[in-house]
Amino acid sequence: MRRALLAVVAVAALFASACGDPDPQPVAPGSAGGSAPEAAEPATTAPEVVTDGEDGDLLQRVQQRGRLVCGVSGTRVIFSETLPDGTVVGVDADYCRVVAAVVFGDSDAVEFVSLTAAERFAALQAGHIDVLFRSTTWTQSRDTEVGLDFGPVIYYDGQQLMARAADGFSASSQVADIAGAEVCALAGTTTEQNVSDAADAAGTEISLSTFEDFDQIVENFIGGGCDVITADGSSLAGRKAKQQPDDQEWVIFPAIPISKEPLAPVYPQNQSRFADAVNWAVYATIIADEKGITSGNVVEMAASPPDAEARRLLGGEDELQTAMGLAPDAFYRAISQVGNYGEILARHLEPAGLTRGSLNASWRDGGLIYAPPAR
Amino acid sequence: MAAPMTEGPDPAALEAWAGDEEQATKPEEPSLSAGEWLSRNLFSSAVNSLLTVVFSLLLVLVLRGLLNFMFSEERTWRAVKTNMRFLFTHAYPQSQYARIWVCIGVIAVLSGLSVGLLARTGGGISMKKLSMNLMAAGALIALGILLREPSAAVGADGRAIHRSGAEARGDSFVDWLDANALTVLGLLVLANVLLAAWFHHRGTYLQVATEPRVAHGVLVLASLGVLIGQQYATGEVVRESFAEAMADRAWWWLAAVVLVGAGAALWAGLGDARRRNTFVPAMYVFFAGAGLMVLSAWVYPWGHYAFLEGEFIAEPGSTVAMTTKLPWTVIWILLVATFELGRAIKGTRVGPRLRVPLNLLWVMTPFVLYWAVLRDPDLDWAHVMSTDIPMAVFFAVFGGLVVWYLAHPRIGETGRVVAVGLLLVAVLNWVAAFFGWYPMLQKARISFLLLAVVAMLAHNFAGDRSQRMKLVAAWVAAMAVFHWLVTLVNSPSTVDTPTDALIGGFGITLIVAVFTLLLSFPLGVLLALARTSKLPIFRVLSTAYIEVFRGVPLITLLFFFTLIFNLFLPQNMTLVDIAGATIGFSLFSAAYLAENVRGGLQAVRRGQYEASDAVGFTTVQRTLFIVLPQALRVSIPPLVGQVIATFKETSLLAVVGIFDFLRIADKVISAQSEFLGVKREGLLFVSFVYWIFAYNMSKYSQRLEKRLGVGER
Repeated sequence: MRRALLAVVAVAALFASACGDPDPQPVAPGSAGGSAPEAAEPATTAPEVVTDGEDGDLLQRVQQRGRLVCGVSGTRVIFSETLPDGTVVGVDADYCRVVAAVVFGDSDAVEFVSLTAAERFAALQAGHIDVLFRSTTWTQSRDTEVGLDFGPVIYYDGQQLMARAADGFSASSQVADIAGAEVCALAGTTTEQNVSDAADAAGTEISLSTFEDFDQIVENFIGGGCDVITADGSSLAGRKAKQQPDDQEWVIFPAIPISKEPLAPVYPQNQSRFADAVNWAVYATIIADEKGITSGNVVEMAASPPDAEARRLLGGEDELQTAMGLAPDAFYRAISQVGNYGEILARHLEPAGLTRGSLNASWRDGGLIYAPPAR
Repeated sequence: MAAPMTEGPDPAALEAWAGDEEQATKPEEPSLSAGEWLSRNLFSSAVNSLLTVVFSLLLVLVLRGLLNFMFSEERTWRAVKTNMRFLFTHAYPQSQYARIWVCIGVIAVLSGLSVGLLARTGGGISMKKLSMNLMAAGALIALGILLREPSAAVGADGRAIHRSGAEARGDSFVDWLDANALTVLGLLVLANVLLAAWFHHRGTYLQVATEPRVAHGVLVLASLGVLIGQQYATGEVVRESFAEAMADRAWWWLAAVVLVGAGAALWAGLGDARRRNTFVPAMYVFFAGAGLMVLSAWVYPWGHYAFLEGEFIAEPGSTVAMTTKLPWTVIWILLVATFELGRAIKGTRVGPRLRVPLNLLWVMTPFVLYWAVLRDPDLDWAHVMSTDIPMAVFFAVFGGLVVWYLAHPRIGETGRVVAVGLLLVAVLNWVAAFFGWYPMLQKARISFLLLAVVAMLAHNFAGDRSQRMKLVAAWVAAMAVFHWLVTLVNSPSTVDTPTDALIGGFGITLIVAVFTLLLSFPLGVLLALARTSKLPIFRVLSTAYIEVFRGVPLITLLFFFTLIFNLFLPQNMTLVDIAGATIGFSLFSAAYLAENVRGGLQAVRRGQYEASDAVGFTTVQRTLFIVLPQALRVSIPPLVGQVIATFKETSLLAVVGIFDFLRIADKVISAQSEFLGVKREGLLFVSFVYWIFAYNMSKYSQRLEKRLGVGER
């Protein structure tokens, strides 16, 4: 009797351990989070297309997944702010939507991941996100040492200073004018370094105080604790539009910023197919801006294109999107669902009291916004 | 195994409140008049009355600062009100909000039943204390109304009107007071010191009953007058007059009058000592308070603030939205109804039998609410029918047979061989998985491991037919629940949020805290047992674990499990941030819990071990039935301390980039263009909510200690 039972147990044990679903369906260990669907996805099918990078083709992985995981700040006005219902709006957020529209034809196929400045590159390297639109300055060290690639610049920012008009400052003030002033900057950032370098170059003595939090800086500025505050121009303008008290007038200077802050998308290194998709998504919005193709008139423009480049761009004859592994109407959808470069900028800059300015104007108007031709 | 419930000899005694009985044995406190109480406790000597006066003035100053901050016209509380849902659930979609309410409702029902059924409704609040608390609350509100500075007059542009330079300073008495308030206050305190010194010198403080106290009283009132009068002084900003300010606070006056009135009415009704020591169940007081809050949502114009379909809604004059007040009303009714139901069942035969199922339901609730209700999983029915259900049935039947066989009282050595065999197969499965030798569902591997563990333990629970049937039933139920949950976990969520997380804000704070607790508690107990084990290998491993995890800062563990751990996982596996953080918290918390439990284990006397050996208990039986129940009871205070610490430590989630309660208030709201730079309001609100929860946990632990008699036995 006992032996029989033993035999049954042993056979059953072998049966249970040998049979099973051929698909590995791992349970996310201790998953208190909703990781299971991702973890459960089989990743065993080898991609057929030419792969670059060690981890396979990113564009194909993103297409299989069905949505773009886009890293943003989530806490920066103009670029990406989180509204009370959780939606993310801003220039960066709109460019995530542009890329999603280009890859999937649906600008809503984005999952936003809010990242702090400290964790953004690690998140990209670990594969948590596909692309980073987080008002990130393109620098040599980040491009080379960190092991990431940068896409085309979507906003040319630059560090400026803000002071009270009552203290004798005006929009035409220079760095030399802040001699002896109490200057406040964010601690441990390049803004701190830039402003002391600029003051040294101008030969002025300043007293610099640093804070951990920009809200604190603005509060001190309103209260009179800081005479001059410094940050990226877009950030200062946003604060001026929202927080300037009635009895004060704030001015932003110098007209030519004291630093160059080209803000560009970032993606993993050596993923050229994905990089092409992101780059040309940005270029398409810029070309559309040059040609006056907006979300409002893109239907007519596609029906009767003004020139051959616009025809190709909007998915007409000789289009090149298919060769990139995208749908022919990828850019058409991006522009109709989100808009062209000028529209996206205007949508988020105007409420903050900003304009495109001289740097972010089209090259035809003397600005820096220039895209390679679509041919 | 369940101990027989002790039935009270007298049905009337069953009805009586437990606290009542407890209180009846205590000698009655001598009743003091208010004046006597004051002179004995606060003004017993010249020095004591001086300390009383100075520290009350400090308290009043702090209260005034807090009130002025909270009610200042510069505060943008609209930011918190508009973001209320965002703070509690982050981006959980509005259309799916019913799920949140279902979760709260389920918790309310379980709480109501448990409190009504399990707790002895003990303690309670004596009528005397209740009436005094009511009056004190009313008096505090009245003081607050007087202390708060009057609101600034607001111009047509919605901003406070500032005085022009010429009229900034008048020469009235209040203006003089405003400028010299601190000097006057200092003089008053100095006068107090001198007065106290003089009476002390004469040594007649207590003998000459009235004079010194009246003098101190006059000084205190004068100080309060200075503080209140200064509020109405003219400053930079044009402010309301005293009459206008009082009229504006009519609702608060009403609340103060109602509270004091209710307290006084109760007090007046307390003629004799018997009634004064009548106990009101604490739950009824809680229900009344919660009921008032819910009622106020229907009556009081808290204002309706929301963000709906891209529009900010701000209606200051209206009551809160129907989608808020209706669910809360239903939940309040559910809570009261289930509490009464629990009380009604308590006396019947069913009552005691419900204890165990109710506790099991509590343990299951977090899993079910999160994976079945909040996530709304999209089940792949073909897979469920072809794989999930057959596998669950297989393990239920096969495991049931194994348990039935191994729980035989005379199984002896054979049982051990079978169990070790099963364990070997289970371990082999994991080794195979590690090397990727042959594919298999992880679920089968885990089920197999569970079976092996149960098989190893089964002989400890051996018994007659009915005992074996119970064990088999428990195994089958466990397998059903386990396979159901794993299937849910493996199904993708259908709730669509714009971000990577399903839920955030306070929701994630609670979820991480609860799952940390559920994971770390068993682990902590096991570690404590291992550290006190006779087997050196267990001792060394457990000691090493505890020392390592207590020695590493929590934030390092969190960074490791959210950022670095993924690099060690196989290609097709990722650990999302929240899961990683929960693991980090659990491992950390388990190390501390283990030390707390070890303290309890050491409190169990040697005689207990020897006695259990003498009756022939196995080690497992001794640990489960003799040692742990005593050890855990002793370690309740440190365990609850650890739970509260874990709950508050979840705010570190903000550092690893998870949108928890604190991060939303600190970083996200102040970065919304609508509320740019508004941060303090959110932080104050967040600390208030944290305090409410932590305070109640601590209160609950005090009651638990009382009930289990920790420190008395």
